[in-house]
Amino acid sequence: MLASMRRTTPPMVLATNLAKTFVDRGRRTEALAGLNLEIGTGEFVSIIGPSGCGKSTLLRLVGGLIEADHGKITVAGSTPLDGRRVKRFGLVPQSPALLPWRTVRENLNLLPRLNRGQGRGRVEPAEIEELLEAVGLSAFAESFPAQLSGGMQQRVSLARAFALRPPILLMDEPFAALDEITRSDMRFQLLALCEDTAATVLFVTHSIEEAVLLSDRVLMLTSRPGTVFDEFTIELERPRRQGIEDLAAFHRHTALLRNALNKAARASSSTGAL
Amino acid sequence: MNRPPETRNPKSHPRLTLISTPSGVLNSLAPLVGLLVLFGGWELYVRLGDVSLLTLPAPSRVIVHVVSDPGFYLSNGWVTLSEAMLGFALALATALMVGTAMAHSRFMERATMPVIVLIQSTPVAVLAPVFLLWFGFSPTPKILVAALFAFIPFVTNTLTGLRSVDRDTLEVMRSVDASRAEVLWHLRLPHALPGLFSAGRICVSLALVGAVIGELYGGSTEGLGYQARIAQSRSLVDQLWGSVLSLALMGIVLTLVVMAVERRVLRWHPSQTTI
Repeated sequence: MLASMRRTTPPMVLATNLAKTFVDRGRRTEALAGLNLEIGTGEFVSIIGPSGCGKSTLLRLVGGLIEADHGKITVAGSTPLDGRRVKRFGLVPQSPALLPWRTVRENLNLLPRLNRGQGRGRVEPAEIEELLEAVGLSAFAESFPAQLSGGMQQRVSLARAFALRPPILLMDEPFAALDEITRSDMRFQLLALCEDTAATVLFVTHSIEEAVLLSDRVLMLTSRPGTVFDEFTIELERPRRQGIEDLAAFHRHTALLRNALNKAARASSSTGAL
Repeated sequence: MNRPPETRNPKSHPRLTLISTPSGVLNSLAPLVGLLVLFGGWELYVRLGDVSLLTLPAPSRVIVHVVSDPGFYLSNGWVTLSEAMLGFALALATALMVGTAMAHSRFMERATMPVIVLIQSTPVAVLAPVFLLWFGFSPTPKILVAALFAFIPFVTNTLTGLRSVDRDTLEVMRSVDASRAEVLWHLRLPHALPGLFSAGRICVSLALVGAVIGELYGGSTEGLGYQARIAQSRSLVDQLWGSVLSLALMGIVLTLVVMAVERRVLRWHPSQTTI
């Protein structure tokens, strides 16, 4: 209900008939074909699908990091390239991708300092300290990334993306490389950060539990070439807190998604056989 | 199936090394042992073997000689040092410019690579007389030879360092539309630093070699290489070996200086952590 209410506001991301084919030494890989997508302001949307279904490609198209062959993307009313120019995106890749020669605090300061011509250059030191606190790393502000564990590094990466207060967060399986306990902690930290900032999130994952736990809506893609196979509204109340995974409603959602994911995989293998 | 009980003494915990590690004191003295054997053996050989002075003076004699005339070695050492350092700086600056241009354009890389391979395959020492012909009596030919010696390690390490940046980090920077200059300054150059420092450790000695070779060819009136050549032609054995010793010392000190700077600048790098 909450999600449907959110969708009445103008869409933050609108993509129609997206297609992208990669050509590498004469080998053509059709990553996306005819994909449509609409994400409302403040909505948390997860993208899930068989591996190699173009999830990351979709994320990079929305973020203006690569260009589509066909179709149109609008992000907050402008093109993805313009969105990049005015620093509208917070990107969290799968690896922490920190600068090893900068301390944790200096890493959080990095994105505000780049491309400073565009308004979003100023971030108050107090905001950085708040972010450090939010991800539980205040005591490690002066540490170098090499001195932190993998989970801590990924928390820095998460905080860095929020440092600009971007209206749109693009996350590409950010927790995939972490152990189960750290991953669970990080999911709830992300939920808390999202509640504070009301950001719109496009989140790529291959974990059904993660998608259900975090999202307002889950889009399931078919495998290559990717297109939206099905979509699900997650009717779990917010704020979502630890323990939510034990609710019957949570299990209902995961069962539904798992079932659909199997169908999606079969659907794409049958088209592959054609 | 009965295995002997393992000792769980943390102090004697087996370390994962393929070579045996001796106890603390012996270990810290190890670097001295090699030098002691070399110079002690040399000294004994000269004293007991009744070696003629012209063939080989004892190391103690060379040291006494150098210490007795410090001004001579300091002023000539300074000349060679400044040539080597100017060559070193010239090589580094050129390598950074060429490497940056190559890293940013495939065309530049393809166009420049044959020239680099050519320099790499040429025994550049042979260019010393050419430079001498061009620039005559001046430090310039020595600086150029020194620079040519140091250029190749610098440029190859610059190129690899600037190119091999992490893809995800690059995308994070591009996601806020960082300019090429910002990516170069904040990501590529710092990423190239560890490689530049390993090259630097090699290149200080190489620059010294270049400067000395330049001096040996002539066109000089001072410098340790020049003095060694004069000493050889006039059979001044003490001065010949004094120059050798001074140059060796200079090489060691320069390498240590580079390593000290490296330790400060690369504080963040795993190679510098003691854990």
